[in-house]
Amino acid sequence: MTARRAATGRAVEGGAATGRRTRPGPHAGPLLAMRAIAKSFPGVRALRGARLTVHAGEVVALLGENGAGKSTLMSILAGVHTDYEGTIECDGVPVTIHSPKAAQALGIGMIHQELNLVPELTAAENIFLGREPRTPRGTVDYRAMDRRAAELLTRLGLEVPPRRPVKHCRIAEQQLIEVAKALNLDVRLLVMDEPTSALADAEVRRLFEVIRDLTADGVGVVYISHRLEELEEIADSVTVLRDGEYVGERAMADTDRSELVRLMVGRTMDELYPRGGEQRSEGPVRLEVSGLSCVPEGGSRLHGIDLSVRAGEIVGLAGLMGAGRSEVLQALFGAYGAGRVGGSVTLDGQPYRPRSPKHALRKGMALVAEDRKAQSLVLANTVRFNTSLASLDRYRRPWHTVDRRREREAVAEQVDGLRVKAPSLNANVDTLSGGNQQKVVLAKCLLARPSLLLMDEPTRGIDVGAKAEIHELMDRLARQGTGILAVSSELPELIGMCDRVLVLCEGRLTGEFHRDAANGPRAEQEALLTAAMAREDVVTGTGGGDAAEPTAGDGTTDPADPTDPADPTDPADPTDPTDPDDRPDTTDTTDTTDTAGTDDDAGTPGGDHR
Amino acid sequence: MRRATRGYAALGLVLTLAVTAGCTSKAPTNEDAGDRNKDEFVIGYSQSNNAEPYRAQINLQLRYYMEKYPKLKLLPISDGQQSSATQLSQVQTFIEKGVDVLLVSPNEPDPLTPVVEMACEARIPVVLLDRSVNTDCHTSFIGGDNYEIGKKAGERAVRELPDGGRVAELRGVLSAKPQIERHKGFMDAIKGHDIKVVAQREAKWLRADATKVTQQWLQGGKKIDLIFSHNDPMALGAFLAAKSAGKAKKTKFLGIDGLAIPSGGIRAVQQGKLDATYLYPTGAKEAARTVADIVAGRKVPKKQTLETVEINSENAAEIYQKYDMSGKIE
Amino acid sequence: MTGTLTDAPDKEQARTPLARVARLLPVLGSLQGYIGLVLVLLIGIVTQGDVFLSETNLTNAVGAFSSRGILAVGVTLVILTAGIDLSVGSLMGFCSMAAALLLVNEQMPVWQIMPLCMLAGAALGLVNGIGTSVLRIQSFVMTLAMLSIARGLDREMSDNVSVGTQVAGPDGTLTPEAEAFQQLGTPGHNVLEGVWLPFVGKEGVYFPVLAFVVVCVAFHLLLSRTTFGRHVYAVGGNPTAARLSGINVTFVTIAVFTLSGMLAGIAGPIDAAYSAAADPLAGTSYELDAIAAAVIGGASLRGGKGTIVGTFIGALILTLLDNVLGLNAVSDNWQLVIKGSIVVLAVVLQRPDLFRRKEKA
Repeated sequence: MTARRAATGRAVEGGAATGRRTRPGPHAGPLLAMRAIAKSFPGVRALRGARLTVHAGEVVALLGENGAGKSTLMSILAGVHTDYEGTIECDGVPVTIHSPKAAQALGIGMIHQELNLVPELTAAENIFLGREPRTPRGTVDYRAMDRRAAELLTRLGLEVPPRRPVKHCRIAEQQLIEVAKALNLDVRLLVMDEPTSALADAEVRRLFEVIRDLTADGVGVVYISHRLEELEEIADSVTVLRDGEYVGERAMADTDRSELVRLMVGRTMDELYPRGGEQRSEGPVRLEVSGLSCVPEGGSRLHGIDLSVRAGEIVGLAGLMGAGRSEVLQALFGAYGAGRVGGSVTLDGQPYRPRSPKHALRKGMALVAEDRKAQSLVLANTVRFNTSLASLDRYRRPWHTVDRRREREAVAEQVDGLRVKAPSLNANVDTLSGGNQQKVVLAKCLLARPSLLLMDEPTRGIDVGAKAEIHELMDRLARQGTGILAVSSELPELIGMCDRVLVLCEGRLTGEFHRDAANGPRAEQEALLTAAMAREDVVTGTGGGDAAEPTAGDGTTDPADPTDPADPTDPADPTDPTDPDDRPDTTDTTDTTDTAGTDDDAGTPGGDHR
Repeated sequence: MRRATRGYAALGLVLTLAVTAGCTSKAPTNEDAGDRNKDEFVIGYSQSNNAEPYRAQINLQLRYYMEKYPKLKLLPISDGQQSSATQLSQVQTFIEKGVDVLLVSPNEPDPLTPVVEMACEARIPVVLLDRSVNTDCHTSFIGGDNYEIGKKAGERAVRELPDGGRVAELRGVLSAKPQIERHKGFMDAIKGHDIKVVAQREAKWLRADATKVTQQWLQGGKKIDLIFSHNDPMALGAFLAAKSAGKAKKTKFLGIDGLAIPSGGIRAVQQGKLDATYLYPTGAKEAARTVADIVAGRKVPKKQTLETVEINSENAAEIYQKYDMSGKIE
Repeated sequence: MTGTLTDAPDKEQARTPLARVARLLPVLGSLQGYIGLVLVLLIGIVTQGDVFLSETNLTNAVGAFSSRGILAVGVTLVILTAGIDLSVGSLMGFCSMAAALLLVNEQMPVWQIMPLCMLAGAALGLVNGIGTSVLRIQSFVMTLAMLSIARGLDREMSDNVSVGTQVAGPDGTLTPEAEAFQQLGTPGHNVLEGVWLPFVGKEGVYFPVLAFVVVCVAFHLLLSRTTFGRHVYAVGGNPTAARLSGINVTFVTIAVFTLSGMLAGIAGPIDAAYSAAADPLAGTSYELDAIAAAVIGGASLRGGKGTIVGTFIGALILTLLDNVLGLNAVSDNWQLVIKGSIVVLAVVLQRPDLFRRKEKA
């Protein structure tokens, strides 16, 4: 054991030791240089030719859409993926990073977006996890640990006692404890992945001060965030990735938001999305929802949401993480059971009460869930098993046996139609690529012959080809009269595919976008993107919890802004009964009405609801 | 700092409790013991495991014979459930209740020695039933002689096979002391005679295992004239196997226990399944008498070894009736 | 079992002939599962030849294990849903005692005892299912509790005394009910004598063996052919996906525990007949043998993976191994060592990925 550890230590020593020796002296090269990095997962090429350069004392922003390869690049840096191509240099010395331990030895610290804390342990114990100070007797030196933890926490402006269990800390506090944990490592390069997503304004300020302290000491920082205004404030330069490739690098001072957005989006919508400039909303109303409210376990609450979907229409749901988009779909699909969902829903003109997924399927709904591996597929089973799972009753013979011949034919038809690449119907789905897995999920939904299709991130994490095929399919289904309600975090996709886009924030409907024929999709996307980013201020105001100042700066006026260019009394959707203009007094349903109403009236949709 | 303090505090608390408990358990019994003029004497019996038919039989018989002495009141019998730790705490409970006489059938000698010593310190007379402990502070030990039983079975085997023969032995759990002694007695008895032990296996006291093992022996072509089993269920399991192989008539079966229950060995002898079984006496009758003597202040022998009886087709009916508890007790 | 090729077959998948063979046998589980069986058979044939292969020996061997084998089928169902059933041994003990008491005290005929025991087992299994799914107690904890509860009821019912099933009437011969009860598994009693059956002809079959095989076939069909079977695999493979695919997860969970209990109800009377007595301790630690059979047969405790055929083979491996060791008079202590090692070996053999990784690196 000890021998092995020593060996690992020596292996990295070569690179690290030389690096450390030259640390204070003149630069032998940049602190970190990653060049021509490539990495592929089965079926997907996540990175190709990516690069990133960080100098000591510099904050480099890493920017890109979801799936652009940012996290993969950072995982390589953290030693999670060992089979990458390309070169990594530290201080001009080539290094290989084969394990998280090697990354640590190089002085690379990482703060992940998902918190990596042990809830049952205290703040101090988490900060010192795996590197607890010891007393001469060999026991944990709690006194030293607490003292040092308190120092770190104070430096971050956090008034959390070191002995408080992490599970009793608020999310924002947990995030900062995560930062403290990284600081404790004595890092030379710190990667921060969306560190402010749960922080309130004041806490963000404090974090920035800490970052400035660090850079003054010569630490390099890679800062990943979607909040452009934050990048403007903290970053020195920005590197943009798109579809796993390096797009460009700019000095922050020489660039502006619109250029960054352009770099991120990069392509013209019209080529990629099949659903051109058409508007198809003439069909009968498939789904009519008014005052949908829901208190899911562990999800975001919904407060009185109104929406409708017509036959042949694709309606998009936009919003940030935690805005309640998935919850809308899950609630409609009955995943939360009957008890937790309020409001009235009509489906094809009939009153509908979400009871269970089984019931929803019988009523002609189908759901493409957000996480195909966790929510949609039985990975250890075959393509056929998965595809027919939701519609087995269709192939039932007496004694509840399955007519396997008819089942196979039906499955084969769907699988062929979707061009799923699988060695056979009896291949396990975990051997398929992400795109093909997603197609199996779609095949499963289509086999249930839905008249209303709920899609949650239908193209997340799949390659461009499969993505285009799925878009085509959505278009085809809509033309055949299926109503589609789709959630996506990719704004170009929403704009390219949807007839209408609804924006959610904090479980409320806060905007509706229609196609803007005059200015083209590019303008729309930028408007939506700007809107989404502006809205993050609102989230910032509340995510931190209690007493964050209710008038969160310019956040108050923003909700109205983005709708203006895209919206003005849209002629394309004259029949919509729940007109988005009535937003302030969004229905008076069940719980939450009072606060919801007042908040909206006051123009601060981000009141503190938690 | 605080954490450490808390730890020491907890440790201290536990120690205090332990010490106090030790004190209180001694207090009440000192004056009780020796008071021979009471109207009622409370007796506690700690059984090691109720779920063995033999021990269930002890319990029944003990209750039956205790009722014959009006002054003795037997508390509900505690069941150690084959766990020494469980039994230990149950004996402690009896001591704290301040019983007048304590009866114990220890599950294992070592773990129960300290608690028997505790009882002695509290001046509670202890009568050990069936198994002993590693201390001699107890008042009396009542138990069968497993060596003797094994020897008698061996002698019977010699008688059954005057011209010599081939014998198989189905043994109890190998680590169990009765098993060891029964085996030794049997081997000593057949020594010097033309009797060969051609097979022996552990069947864990269990009927089903004995059936399986015997089937394998017979299937493997072993010629067996007599099967000696360390208890009756195993003997009956062997009989079943031999019967299904059509060899029951040519084979003799010897068992041990001789319980007077419908599925027991005595009935099996009556039915001709077993040739003989050896009574492993429960000692309940002797225990009740010993307890009565103790409370009356009479002297009792330190060790009482119970005689075994060979149960064969001649005396089976009589013995069954003598020990049959059904209907005699609720 | 040939798959419809939907598109150009993936080159990697079809390349090795071994992979192609393995794909032909999805129902029979992985090829490696058989290695253990073949090994045991070989050892048996080499060392004990005729004796080992004789019909009586094999019948005896399988008969001795059949009650545990039947339990293993139930346990497999539960394991497939990513649960565990530790209570089957106790449930079987309970049902064997119930059967013996019904026979001795009520003189009930066999054809009534069997369904009643199945009902009793199913009822206790239902409690397991409700505890696990509705009350959301982990199945390990719930069935551990049931292990204790059922054993307690068993012992209470029997007054800790074993109950013999060979009840003699006033004339000293067995009562007709007891005579019929022997058919369930008392060694030397066959059923269906005079009826021609495949493999055995007209001599009849030993009921424990017949019951084990019938249970395996029935549950194999249930799992592989019915919608319920699909649901079981889905619930074990991914409960969220199963629920979102319209499967009533609660129902499936309750059903598998109930079925497992019901199978214990079948095994109980058989075990009582085999020993010609119901012992208050009967079935102790049988759950471990049952779980071992399922696991050797390729069932994954993580759920969603496993087959009844696999469990059948697992049970055969355990049975025949025991038999071979017994025939060769291997000492008891070494038998324990060898059996434990075989479990590890069988499970490792089913994990080809363990060896494949080396090739990659």
